[in-house]
Amino acid sequence: MKNPLLPVKATITGIKRETEDTKTFSLSIEDSSYTAKPGQFNMVGYPGVGEAPISLSSMASEGRFQHTIRSVGRVTEFIDGFKEGDVMYVRGPYGTYWPLDNAIGNDILLVAGGVGLAPLRPVVQEILERRDSFGTVTLIYGSRTPDNMLFLREIDTWRKNIAVFLTVDEVTPNTKWDYDVGLVTQLLDNAAINPVKTFAFICGPEIMMLFVSRGLSIRGFLPSRVYVSLERRMKCGIAQCGHCQHGGKFICKDGPVFLYKDMSRLADGLL
Amino acid sequence: MTGENIFQGSNLLIPKDSFFRFIDSLRSQHRVLGPIKERDYAVFREITSSRDLFMEYKTTMLSPGKMFLYKPREDILKFRMESTVSIQEVMTEVEKQVIVGIHPCDINAILYLDQTFLGTFSDPSYKARRENTVLIGLNCMQVSDNCFCSSVGTGPFLKAQSGYDMVLTDFGEDYLIELKSERAHELFDIKGEKAGHAEWSVKSGKEESMLKSFKKSIYVDGLDTLFMKNLDHPVWATTANERCLSCSNCVMVCPTCFCYDIKDEVSMDLKEVSRIRQLDACQDLRFAEVHGGNFRLRRSSRLRQFVMHNLNYTSQYGTIKTVGCGRCITWCPTKIDLTEMAKEIQRSTIR
Repeated sequence: MKNPLLPVKATITGIKRETEDTKTFSLSIEDSSYTAKPGQFNMVGYPGVGEAPISLSSMASEGRFQHTIRSVGRVTEFIDGFKEGDVMYVRGPYGTYWPLDNAIGNDILLVAGGVGLAPLRPVVQEILERRDSFGTVTLIYGSRTPDNMLFLREIDTWRKNIAVFLTVDEVTPNTKWDYDVGLVTQLLDNAAINPVKTFAFICGPEIMMLFVSRGLSIRGFLPSRVYVSLERRMKCGIAQCGHCQHGGKFICKDGPVFLYKDMSRLADGLL
Repeated sequence: MTGENIFQGSNLLIPKDSFFRFIDSLRSQHRVLGPIKERDYAVFREITSSRDLFMEYKTTMLSPGKMFLYKPREDILKFRMESTVSIQEVMTEVEKQVIVGIHPCDINAILYLDQTFLGTFSDPSYKARRENTVLIGLNCMQVSDNCFCSSVGTGPFLKAQSGYDMVLTDFGEDYLIELKSERAHELFDIKGEKAGHAEWSVKSGKEESMLKSFKKSIYVDGLDTLFMKNLDHPVWATTANERCLSCSNCVMVCPTCFCYDIKDEVSMDLKEVSRIRQLDACQDLRFAEVHGGNFRLRRSSRLRQFVMHNLNYTSQYGTIKTVGCGRCITWCPTKIDLTEMAKEIQRSTIR
């Protein structure tokens, strides 16, 4: 019987620095049948250091995929020191995914905050692959400063096919910034969104997801179409270790992608 | 009388002596574990003779399920750190074992642990041990002060019809033995008097009288919605701030608390890494900590998590988590009682 906690080798085939503390690692694993859906995550780690749940930041094909990792903890700081050709250990993919297929024929609104754009990037990639399947697609992305923005150059290439709105909390001195300053919620009215035919996928700090979800509710979005992705401490990723439990749900198995309405007003959460 | 219909099967009245000889006979091919008396207390241990057994025990501090099926600590993987890393899976020992004398609450607790470890993702070592362990239940003839199994349907007599092998009821000189698995039929080769309607009546009478001796109870219907409406009820903060030590005793002695931590231990020569798992507790400050915050920083939210997981989050596996064994009350240094906390919320909302 296969041990679900057994990781496999993932060789680093490329590293791209995104911001001061964030890098995108291109990875390759032997198992070419490995696939994942946008929004799912892997447990990523190294022996002696431990493992952390990290969303895939790209689509996966033939055992190749990317993780965009912010260096903020024991595991991620260790990974930050890796060079091309080094090996990390992964297992997955785990969890639920953004329900893109349900959104076929409808409009899509993506709202991301900070490193929360990473789990939404494979959604954009998949939308671009079959752009005709969807109506208007809008991305609203906010970050603390322009320096903290992920995938800025890539976002520019998305603009041909989807509407993009960018905003930051504050502009760093001596930085060129042609876009908005303020919260992502302020941009909800700027985008031409038809609330009754739009699916919303939101990923960012929980407090941001709360205000965006509320903002969409006020604007007439259907509760059955507003999705969020939650983050919790995880050790196993397979609904056993109990760390990620939230209101009786396992974020790792029942989530991380949930309907906002199913996760609001629970104990010990902000939604 | 569906109960009686199910009862009409392989049920025997066997003299206790014969039963214990049967237990001794199992020792040739099984490790046999059961309750023994250690000073003033009962503990589950391996026995060398059925004479060691203390079948009249009231309760134990630790449940057999979390000692012999789900281990408090075990290696899950080993990494050999040479120029390249090699991973070795840790082979689970598949020793055949028998656990005898398990109270209904603890049998139900094992059925609950099955949901975690034999669910969507099956745990190989739990599965191997579970398949190689014969479970022999023992209906309760005594009720301890903190027992409340009768309120949640997990005791004092076992109602579950599968997932274990046998259940015993004390009939004085005899045990009424109900065989509940194919394996039990194969193992149990002792001929005895077939039990029928008369024995069923006696058993029901014993259960009736046991049900009358409970001191503690809880009314669980509607608790789930009630708790969700009372997340800010003062009972959480008051109990937590005045009495809870965050010591995690409640979680450690709970037969259904399944949470674990995974840790990597590096050998002194840095050549070997053992990835181990060990019991963890939601009462620990860092349990729900993430980068930039802690979802249960306050002691009251950690205590609330324990109580709500046990009494409220029935959606998790479609069954209530508590089996009413009362261990968390017994072993709490300040005697925090989850049934009292629930009652306080119930009382304050009735008005």
